[in-house]
Amino acid sequence: MTAVVPSPPPFDPELGAALAVLGEQLPPSFTPEMIPLMRQGASVMDTFSDDDLRRDGRFTVEERTVPGLDGDPDISLLICRPTAATGTLGCLYHTHGGGMILGDNRSGVDMMLDFAEEFGLVVVSVEYRLAPETPHPGPVNDCYAGLLWTAAHADELGFEPGRLIVAGGSAGGGLAAALALMARDLDGPELLGQLLICPMLDDRNESTSAVQMEGLGVWDRTANRTGWGALLGAAAGGPGVSPYAAPARAVDLGNLPPAFIDVGSAETFRDEDVAYASRIWQAGGRAELHVWPGGFHGFDMMAPTAVISQDARQARFRWLNRLLNA
Amino acid sequence: MKDLAVRLAALDADASAAVQVIAYFDGLVEAGAGLQSIVRGAAVLAGCPARLDDPARRVHIRMLPDGAAAAKTPDDDGWPGAAAGTATLRLERSGAAGPVDAMVLERAAAAARTVLDRTRGRAPVTDQPAMVELLVDAAAPADARQRAARLLGLTAGGTAYAMVFHGGEIRILKGDADPPRGRAGIGPAGPILDLPVSHDGARVAVRFTAAGTDEDPGKTIISYAELGALVMLTQVPEPGAVPDVRILEQAGAPWLLPTLHAVTSTTSLRAAATLLRLHHSTLQDRVAQAEHLLGWSLRDPDGLLRTHLALVLRRLHRNPVSP
Repeated sequence: MTAVVPSPPPFDPELGAALAVLGEQLPPSFTPEMIPLMRQGASVMDTFSDDDLRRDGRFTVEERTVPGLDGDPDISLLICRPTAATGTLGCLYHTHGGGMILGDNRSGVDMMLDFAEEFGLVVVSVEYRLAPETPHPGPVNDCYAGLLWTAAHADELGFEPGRLIVAGGSAGGGLAAALALMARDLDGPELLGQLLICPMLDDRNESTSAVQMEGLGVWDRTANRTGWGALLGAAAGGPGVSPYAAPARAVDLGNLPPAFIDVGSAETFRDEDVAYASRIWQAGGRAELHVWPGGFHGFDMMAPTAVISQDARQARFRWLNRLLNA
Repeated sequence: MKDLAVRLAALDADASAAVQVIAYFDGLVEAGAGLQSIVRGAAVLAGCPARLDDPARRVHIRMLPDGAAAAKTPDDDGWPGAAAGTATLRLERSGAAGPVDAMVLERAAAAARTVLDRTRGRAPVTDQPAMVELLVDAAAPADARQRAARLLGLTAGGTAYAMVFHGGEIRILKGDADPPRGRAGIGPAGPILDLPVSHDGARVAVRFTAAGTDEDPGKTIISYAELGALVMLTQVPEPGAVPDVRILEQAGAPWLLPTLHAVTSTTSLRAAATLLRLHHSTLQDRVAQAEHLLGWSLRDPDGLLRTHLALVLRRLHRNPVSP
């Protein structure tokens, strides 16, 4: 019997056109040997200066060094506080993306600042150590240590402890989901919500969407294998992987803070993200799931002007509005 | 991730930028993208608002460089643009288009034309004068005229009518379609093969139109069907030589023609005053003055008919038979 690989869903027209332009700079697949090259490729990830982050004085920006978890090295937190916000502030604790192997605590933080401006939020973005130099559990422990510090310093940072939300995209979405699991299991801070943007959740990397999209779009199955392999080594895909590394491995998805999950229909993570939302509901929890047709991984960041990207962004604002203001 | 516009802006205005622009619009067309996506692409890649206007198909799209749709603002003739069939794609940018802008305009316009032809029917008649000439030529073979009708998006069993514009342009419209704006004569609607008759009627009717200004008051669109016996006035060999027309031409008072038009096209002096936005008593003064200038009454049916005929003959004099 021959295994049939189902044909992939088509890209949204505008996204497909953008991909035709961007694809040259960003191959769908990459292998472990390409990690150093990808890290050098400043063209792939945004870089923001302090000035960019201040947004004409609407935020103050500082980097704080705080202790790592259980004697781990100190970690750095980027803290952006709104200057004009009034009333009760909340906090977005941000774990950046980059497949566990790329990026820094400024990657993707502009979107967090957009949310912060709209809803009056302090943004804290953690500089966690990257794989493969630091395998699991180093990265997620760094993130958790930063979360503990942030929650413990709510007064100093000026936010209401009950309005703390973990947020991240891609690998950062996986880390944010892991933080929600850890906070639940380890008596950590109470979280108001988890904003999981196209999260990387499952090291097994064998879903239909992973197979369908091999060699296509952004962050395909091969790239995903590279990321998980860097984090977990030979354990990736095997038995006994911790849910704090790969949240899809969690047996119990009950008693978690309300989740927002979005993902494109034309990306590796589609099926694992849909499954995660379904399992939260099955466990009696709250989740909002958006599957954007024809979206590749990270489409709204790479092609923000496409109409579907605008819609995807608005959906996050609307969820945050219900979470924070309803 | 750095987004598309940022990356493209970072490219030099050289061959690589051109390749990217081509790849983008080719990608849109291959994926069957709509007009909004194309205009949005032009705005994003050029980094300024872009608009697509097709008055014939009533398509008006305007997009901002952040990808948001925006309301239409007044046009500026100085903007660089490119024709997309009957539509025009423009970048709201002053000065000449740079190399990347020119490439964006060319590729976006080509993409828009493809989509317009696919989704909004074949381009209307305005850009296909040869087909139109054929349709209104009674001497052309019937099957050639039927083929031309199909190419123009008309159905063989349907009805159509001809419009002749003041400048001489001919348009063919489906029998149930509203006429576009402009100064034009409208021929009677009928079967496709009767379009030469409709065209003859439209050519006559356009001579009865006016500019709609104080200098040349009157209706800008005239249907042949509403002319009736007035058509006979086209038989007058030299309408400009008719004494009553000369009086109108030589009267010299700028308010005279609008006043006469209002008085002859309404049923009471009160209605005429409303049309002219004048006080009733002011109009009565003017009517008295006009009667003095003309030498005949404007208050009885015979005088009104005489005035009306003079006005019509003046229009025929100003709109001679087109070659």
